[in-house]
Amino acid sequence: MKNSTLLFRSLAIIILIAGVAHLVRLGRSYTTGESVSYTTSPIVDEHTNTDFTESDSNSKKILNYNENTDYITGTWLANYKSAEFEGAVLYHLKKEGRVFNAYAMEYQDVHGNSQKAEGHKVLTIKRFDGYKGKGVYKMEYKGKIHNMDCSIDMVDENTFKLSYDYYGYSDVETWKRQ
Amino acid sequence: MVEMLSEKLEWIDVQYWFYVLNDLSLLYLIIPFFVLELIRYAFLKQLTKDLIFDSIASVLTYGGFLVVGILLGLLAVTKVYFWIHNNFSLPHLELNWVTILTCVLLADFAYYWEHRAMHRIGIGWATHTVHHSSEHFNMSVAYRFGPLDAIMPIIFSIPIVMLGFDPVLVLLSEVFVQVFQTLLHTEIIGKLTKPVEFIFNTPSHHRVHHGSNRQYWDKNYAGILIIWDRMLGTFEPEVEKVKYGISQPINTNNPIIVFFHGISRLFKKMKKVKGFKNKLLVCLKPPDWMPADPK
Repeated sequence: MKNSTLLFRSLAIIILIAGVAHLVRLGRSYTTGESVSYTTSPIVDEHTNTDFTESDSNSKKILNYNENTDYITGTWLANYKSAEFEGAVLYHLKKEGRVFNAYAMEYQDVHGNSQKAEGHKVLTIKRFDGYKGKGVYKMEYKGKIHNMDCSIDMVDENTFKLSYDYYGYSDVETWKRQ
Repeated sequence: MVEMLSEKLEWIDVQYWFYVLNDLSLLYLIIPFFVLELIRYAFLKQLTKDLIFDSIASVLTYGGFLVVGILLGLLAVTKVYFWIHNNFSLPHLELNWVTILTCVLLADFAYYWEHRAMHRIGIGWATHTVHHSSEHFNMSVAYRFGPLDAIMPIIFSIPIVMLGFDPVLVLLSEVFVQVFQTLLHTEIIGKLTKPVEFIFNTPSHHRVHHGSNRQYWDKNYAGILIIWDRMLGTFEPEVEKVKYGISQPINTNNPIIVFFHGISRLFKKMKKVKGFKNKLLVCLKPPDWMPADPK
C-alpha cells in the first residue's frame, strides 16, 4: 500500500473518531448551555474569583502562580448529611504563602435557603503536588474545635476528595468546583 | 441513547472500572488462564524444562520493562502529557461514555501504528524482538518485553492528548488495549466465529503475528480491532501451522540475554556499517536494511 494511502486513511480514521467525541461535546454544550470548552484555565479561575480576594493580594497571587498546583484555588461546594447538619457549605480556597486555606463562605440547607458564613478557616492544605495533598481539617464537635490530619485526592480538576480519620471517626467529603 | 452516552461521569467511578478491567484482570483472568495452559501442556506431554524456563525468563523481562516503564510513564503522564494537554490541545473533552469509547478506539489505533513502527524501525525492533523471541506461545509470552518497549506508546499517544483527551484516560485506555492483547497469547482458543474474526483481533490473528513463517512476517499488528490491519494492508489469516519465534533464534532462556539481545544485535550491526549516516539509518530503517556498501 502506498504511503500516501496509509497517511490519508489514518487521518480519516483519527478525524472520524475524534470528531465524534468533539461533536458530542459541542452538542451537549449546545443543549445544556454550558461553555463550549471544558478547560478550566487556572488563570481564568483566578480572575473569576476576584470577588473573594483583595486586589493587591490577587495580583501578587497571579505573579506567583504555579500552574501545576494552584488550579485548586477557587470556590468549592461540599454536601453534608448528618444528624447535626444536612445541606451544603460553600468554601473559598486560596493560596496564602506556601499553603492553601479554605474558608467557609455560605451555608445552604436542603430547602435552598442560604446563610452567609463567618468566614472561618476550615482547611489548610500544607502539601499539594497537583494530585494529592496533606493538610489539617478543622471540625467543631460539641463546641470544641478539633484539628484533624486530612488527605486531598484530586478526582479531576473540578472535584477532589477530602478524607480524614480522627480517633476512629473517619469520613470522605467530595468537594466540587463552583 | 446519545443522552446516556454523553452524560457526565465521575472520575472515581471510571478509575474503578479501569482498575477492575486492567489491574485485577491479572488475578481473575490471566493467571487462571495461564494455569489452564500449563495443565494443557502437561496433558499433551509438552510441559518441558525449556517451556518452564522460557516462561520464567518472560516474567523476569517484565520486571526490567516495568522499572523503565514506570519511570517513563510517571514522567510522561505527570509532566509531558499534562504540559501538552494544557498548552497544545483542542478543547478538553468532558468525561463521559463517548469520550471513553473514542479514547479506547484511538488508543487502539495508536497501538497499531506504534506496534508497526516497532517492527519496521531498527531501534524499535531492537527492543520488540524480545517479545517475539520465545518459541512458545502462551500468556507468559505476553509479559516478555524489551528494555525500550515503553517509549513508543508514549510517543504515539501524545496526539491523542492533543485531541483533547485527558492524559490519565489516555493512559488507562492504553493499558486496557495492552490487557486485551495479553489475552490473545494462547493456543487454547482456535478460530472464533466469522464476524468476531472479521472485526476483532483474536488469538488466531495474533498467532500469525508471532509466526516466523515468511508469509506471517510483519502482519496483524492490531491491539483490539483487526480492522486496522485490514484497512492498512497488513492482515494475514492463519492458514499454515505457525512456527513461533524470530528468524535468528537466541537459543537461550537466560533472562539477561533475552532482555538485551535486540539492543546488542543492533549495536553489532551499527559497528559493522561505516559512516555516521549509515549508523543512524540502521536505527531508523527497517531491521533488514543494510547499506548498499557496508564498508
